[in-house]
Amino acid sequence: MELTRNITLGVYLPGETAIHRLDPRTKIIAATMLITLLLFIKSYEAYGFFLIFTAGIIVFAGIPLSYALCGLKPMLPVLLLMWIFQFFLYSTPDANILFSWWIFTATDAGLHMGNIITLRVLFLFTVTTILTLTTSIVNLTDGLESLLKPLRKIGLPSQELVMTMIIALRFVLILAEELDKIIKAQMARGVAFDRGSFIQKTRKLFPVFLPLFINAFKRAEELIVAMEARSYSGGKGRTKMKTLHMGRVDLGAGLIMLLFTILMIYIIISAAPQI
Amino acid sequence: MNPLIEAIDLSYTYRAGSGKEIKALNGINLQVKRGEMLAITGQNGSGKSTLARHFNGLLTPTGGKVLVNGLSVADKNNVSTIRKLVGMVFQNPDNQLISSIVEEDIAFGPENLGLPPALIRERVNQALDTLNLQDLRYESPNLLSEGQKQLVAIAGVLAMKPGCIVLDEPTAHLDPRGRREVLESILRLNRDEKITTILLTHYMNEAIHCDRMIVMDQGIIEMEGTPCEVFGRGDKIISLGLDYPVATQLAQGLRLRGINLPDNIIRSEEIINFLCQLK
Repeated sequence: MELTRNITLGVYLPGETAIHRLDPRTKIIAATMLITLLLFIKSYEAYGFFLIFTAGIIVFAGIPLSYALCGLKPMLPVLLLMWIFQFFLYSTPDANILFSWWIFTATDAGLHMGNIITLRVLFLFTVTTILTLTTSIVNLTDGLESLLKPLRKIGLPSQELVMTMIIALRFVLILAEELDKIIKAQMARGVAFDRGSFIQKTRKLFPVFLPLFINAFKRAEELIVAMEARSYSGGKGRTKMKTLHMGRVDLGAGLIMLLFTILMIYIIISAAPQI
Repeated sequence: MNPLIEAIDLSYTYRAGSGKEIKALNGINLQVKRGEMLAITGQNGSGKSTLARHFNGLLTPTGGKVLVNGLSVADKNNVSTIRKLVGMVFQNPDNQLISSIVEEDIAFGPENLGLPPALIRERVNQALDTLNLQDLRYESPNLLSEGQKQLVAIAGVLAMKPGCIVLDEPTAHLDPRGRREVLESILRLNRDEKITTILLTHYMNEAIHCDRMIVMDQGIIEMEGTPCEVFGRGDKIISLGLDYPVATQLAQGLRLRGINLPDNIIRSEEIINFLCQLK
């Protein structure tokens, strides 16, 4: 499908490596830890270690490098724009001016900030991509459901939320197909979506989205009846066919994550506060 | 033995009391026997879906009553027991499958019943075996044909071990091959697993395989009997907006041309047998 060709976020690459076999909960927790660490990293050395670690995971999980990088392509313009903004607009009082042009002044502090922020987003993207590339959607939702379960006590309807996610995932493709059908039907009746001014083009989309929404609501209603007919009455009293087990691999992965976290915290604390 | 499902003077009105009332059912009396295969036919808007939705408490009567295994569907306390007993399959398979993996979808019903994981797995395996879906176990429903999707939906109901399955025009969205596959599976479930089956359909060629059929029009039962009896009652079936099965049509045509055929022919095999004897 046209829309999904370049998107690697949310795509699963089946495999048999230890990373694939990890309990989804281990992977979700590890990814959360890595993301939290990323928010505190402000030095290039720390990013160096982070790069080695993530590259290690990518190699170990057998993810083709081209695949991991290809997902970054659509992000590049955004990353570049972000870098430019930081470079020209961020400054500290004691920063050295590199050059100035018109109303913009570029400082070394801005350059550093631009680099750090861009790297942070890049790595955030890489960590989440690794998670989804090595974990099937069903495993992810199972893991999430299990991790969120304790929050039920404070009133969060975790199982219902996860059920909503599962259903949304199933219907994304169905609705995408339907959108395609409606567009083709409109084209067959003479609508030229690629012609006219921006406003004209936008107006042409109304007759596309209106039927899509109406159909989506109809589907939702039918789905509710079907779920009710299969005795669904919310998360209460429901059991799961699949039960999650943590094994030795998870213990090993946990230990590695712990060591890496300690190392990173040490680097973050010991690095002179540059900003 | 008491009937599995019994409708007594059942009527149902949509939007009751709003001034824009639509009377969908108007005094239905019906008994569904255990183990039988019943076809409910009738043109669009005849009330057959409304009737079927009373059988597992998706709708509750606005008049009269419906008993499932002796339990009234109007009583909220009975609903969960009744839904365990009477499963339902709908027309559009896409709008009744909830998971992106076949196996998980079939497990959805048993999971709702709160069964232990090992038992759920056993039930899922059985349902997959019964409908020959083992190879599709880990597939995504999005990649299956419409007929296969409908079989998955039937498996999902089967895994709940119901005593009765109600199928609301399960073949309406399917191509001829899918229709054949689904019908054969339904017939097999009724015959081998002894599951009471209620088939709502527009296709007379499906109704002829049932033990008994009823024809509905404007909220009442117009005809009832074995397919042979119903199609033998002259042109009433045509006036109710339906049609004869293919074999009956052929037999009528041949009779007009002077070939002497009995008038209770409804199945292709019957007409083949008679024609072969003529040689």
